[in-house]
Amino acid sequence: MIVANNVCKSYNRRTVAALNDVSLEIADGEFSVILGASGSGKSTLLSVLSGLEKSDGGRIECCGQVISDMTEKQLTEFRRQYVGFVFQHYYLLGHLSVESNVRLGADLANNGDYTEVIKAVGLSDKIKCKPNELSGGEQQRVCIARAIAKNPKILFLDEPTGALDESIGRAVLDYISRLKSERGFTVVMVTHNANIADMADRVIGMNSGKIVSDKTNPDKKTAYEIGW
Amino acid sequence: MIIGLKDGIKLIGVATVCFCAAFVCTLFFNYYIDASAISGEIGEEVKILYDAQITTAKVVCFVTGGVLCLTAVIMIIFYIKLYIDANAQKFGILKAMGYSNGKLARGFWVFGLSVFIGTAIGYGVGYAFMRIIYDELTIGDLQTVQIGFHAMSLITIVIAPTALFCALSCGYAYIAVRQSVSDLLSGHDGRKQKTGRVSVKRRSFLKDVCIAVLSQKKSVVFFIAFSAFCFSSMLQMGLSMDELSSVTMGLMILLIGVVMAVTALFMAATTAINVNKRNIAVMKAFGYSEVKRAAAVFGGYIPFAVLGFIIGTLYQYGFLKVMIDVAYSDIAFMPSYSFNVSAFFIALSAFIVTYTSAMLYFSYKLNTVSVKRIMEE
Repeated sequence: MIVANNVCKSYNRRTVAALNDVSLEIADGEFSVILGASGSGKSTLLSVLSGLEKSDGGRIECCGQVISDMTEKQLTEFRRQYVGFVFQHYYLLGHLSVESNVRLGADLANNGDYTEVIKAVGLSDKIKCKPNELSGGEQQRVCIARAIAKNPKILFLDEPTGALDESIGRAVLDYISRLKSERGFTVVMVTHNANIADMADRVIGMNSGKIVSDKTNPDKKTAYEIGW
Repeated sequence: MIIGLKDGIKLIGVATVCFCAAFVCTLFFNYYIDASAISGEIGEEVKILYDAQITTAKVVCFVTGGVLCLTAVIMIIFYIKLYIDANAQKFGILKAMGYSNGKLARGFWVFGLSVFIGTAIGYGVGYAFMRIIYDELTIGDLQTVQIGFHAMSLITIVIAPTALFCALSCGYAYIAVRQSVSDLLSGHDGRKQKTGRVSVKRRSFLKDVCIAVLSQKKSVVFFIAFSAFCFSSMLQMGLSMDELSSVTMGLMILLIGVVMAVTALFMAATTAINVNKRNIAVMKAFGYSEVKRAAAVFGGYIPFAVLGFIIGTLYQYGFLKVMIDVAYSDIAFMPSYSFNVSAFFIALSAFIVTYTSAMLYFSYKLNTVSVKRIMEE
């Protein structure tokens, strides 16, 4: 469970407020989408909820740990144990094969059975390939496998389909949705694409560093049913 | 493995400097050990000359080894910084996943492999040339010194520096990756942000680009000046050596100087091009001529190259003056030393020709930067 109370975050010596008194709760196993335009504070919210950045004020509890009070070292340990990340850009290590890139995540969790994750994202036949031999969608699937191989409790995704075209984007979202159902982790996804929000259990709207809407979504759609 | 072996062994600059250091130190350290072993057999009549040779071997080892080692340290730090800057996002994602600074830094030991390659080759080549140098150093009635293999020299010149540089690489990387995940992911170092006053001086666009290029990577400024310093000091020193020592010694100093100068220049200029690729591409897209693009990227470095040349000239004069007038003042038939004007003009002409050619070559390289490819990156 994620519980954030009165969270604030600003940049440039506190002259630019990115988050302004944000409070929210995300239940275990929930698929939440944080929706907002560029500069609305959605990526900053994802950063502070996941322990990538420290908030300036407020309290954040995640997986039973109060991360707002943690030191950098404790945050690193927290991320190692509980959190997986997928970003818009893949940031795979170019000199390593698919298998080794996924192992980077698996090793952190002492997960020896990482090939099963590669299979789950449909890349068993490309296990020895280097990132430059893969398409954009395949590279993003390696990133998902790398994040999942850590057995995270929460998967944070920042615009995971931002650099992909429609068909590949839908396939990537489908993989995320299926893996979530199989493994039961919590998903927090940031996007500016309102159509993707139709896949989520809950949609949190943001504008000017504040939560402006928070709706549950009873009519969830699959990745192939949503608009693009 | 977080960092590829290939990344670790392609530091040509570091390997070259280490090669030079190991080559010179192997010759003189070995000579020092072998010559020290026969100290009991030296007669009183050649004692002063013998002591001078021993001192020379020690001084050359310390000065050359020390200076080149320091250069290699600066170079390896420079390379690691560039590597982390270029791969900041990858380190950011690894830190986001939970990799600690220590775990990331440990992977940087591979950068020490360049030191191993350079020192190992330098050590081998040093042995190959050892007889020539031993004969050069055997002046007058001095007894011929026999070449021996000393495990101590292998440890001091190859093994210890490799281990030290592996440790240094990890240590520096530990400091360099200690940035927040967001700074790494966004590709800029938040620790460096300055919020000083903004200059309101009106300058031409090209001058602004020139100043931005210089302040963006100050290490490149250092290496350009260092390159000119090496070129100037070693060339003039080498040319003066035939009167003071021997042609072989002169040639050795000259070659090492030129190799180091060219390596540093090449490294600095390619870095300047790589970090300014986007600026170059934008200027190209806007229609700035080849000359203006080259002036914007390289023009600012010219005064620093000239400064390096002047400091190099003064340094070699001061160094040789001290060595001859102070360190070797007791030795009979030692020629006096005064500023070598002809060596200065030869070095100056070579400097102008070499650096102008380099400028033309790198201007050509600038021209090959593809606007489309850069914009797609």
